[in-house]
Amino acid sequence: MSPRAPRLAALALLLLLPMVAGAAPKKLVLLFTGDNGGEIAPCG
Amino acid sequence: MPVLALDAGNALFKTLADGQDPAAKPRAELLLEQLDAQGYAAMAVGQRDLVLGVDFLKKKTKGTKLKLVSANLVDAKGQPLFPASVVTTVGGLKVGIVGVSPASADPKAPAGSSDGTAFLPEGVRGLPVAPAVTAEVKRLRQKEQVQLVVLLAAVPYVEAVKLAQGAEGVDFVVQSHDGRGVGMAQRQGVSTLVPPGERGRQVAKLEVSVDGTGPFADLSEANRARESQRMVEANIARVQERLKAEKNEDTRRSLQETLASFESRRDALARTAEAQGPATGRTYLLTYLQLGTDVASDAAVQKQVERVEPPGSAGH
Repeated sequence: MSPRAPRLAALALLLLLPMVAGAAPKKLVLLFTGDNGGEIAPCG
Repeated sequence: MPVLALDAGNALFKTLADGQDPAAKPRAELLLEQLDAQGYAAMAVGQRDLVLGVDFLKKKTKGTKLKLVSANLVDAKGQPLFPASVVTTVGGLKVGIVGVSPASADPKAPAGSSDGTAFLPEGVRGLPVAPAVTAEVKRLRQKEQVQLVVLLAAVPYVEAVKLAQGAEGVDFVVQSHDGRGVGMAQRQGVSTLVPPGERGRQVAKLEVSVDGTGPFADLSEANRARESQRMVEANIARVQERLKAEKNEDTRRSLQETLASFESRRDALARTAEAQGPATGRTYLLTYLQLGTDVASDAAVQKQVERVEPPGSAGH
């Protein structure tokens, strides 16, 4: 193997890492309410 | 995790005749103030939100972060009464939120006909639902380049199902009109129909993970399968323990049969979990937060509630 290979691999890893990090799934919590029907004291 | 709070409509009034109740207006005002204060981004305008008219809604939400949305409500001249949608970026995701209200009922239709329309106040017209939604979703996808579309559908259930089956580009349809309460998220054609709960008794919590494009997968079935798998594995361990100690041949045979049946069930559940639950892609998980007496009230909000509905009053 050429002595340059490990450096190249290190560089590739360095450059690709942010892309991998950026590709992480985006997560979100959606909170929904509906049909509240004028309720402000839902014990009633 | 970043949070986006939305209301699917029909929040403000108990019935269409609520305008006669002197407590109805302060109750609706308090609800709008609290939806805004609690960080809601948008609410669809439902039939029961129009009891005190459009001007009341506009006046109470002027300058608020809470936006009232409806893609199909127009005035007598055919001009839109509310924005069709809002776009917001939360957790790095650009989300389009479209509102839709019922189409106006034909005044000649027999009372109680369930064609997905509703009677609206004078001067307010509900255009046909599907074309209004399709046009707005197309605009959001093409011009705004949103990554997720939520449709707040303050329309009868039958209409919401039709929308979910045909509204290309909509990821989730949240339906509110008939007070159907809690339920499961159901894939209907091209999108997923989500019941939001009712009467302030619960909040629907939809955990969404977006990686790439394509349809969303429901994680709940895989989770249920994994839970059952764990229970079956515990039963397998118990049967194996008994088998080690058992000397009677008949009992051993019976235990071995039971063990084989449990193992077969475990394998089937493992297959279900594997098939249903891609760890990556676009997934969702729906749960409900019950707002029972075990959830503490905010003291300041409680005071405001008691000013409108004192303890012991009919509504409290």
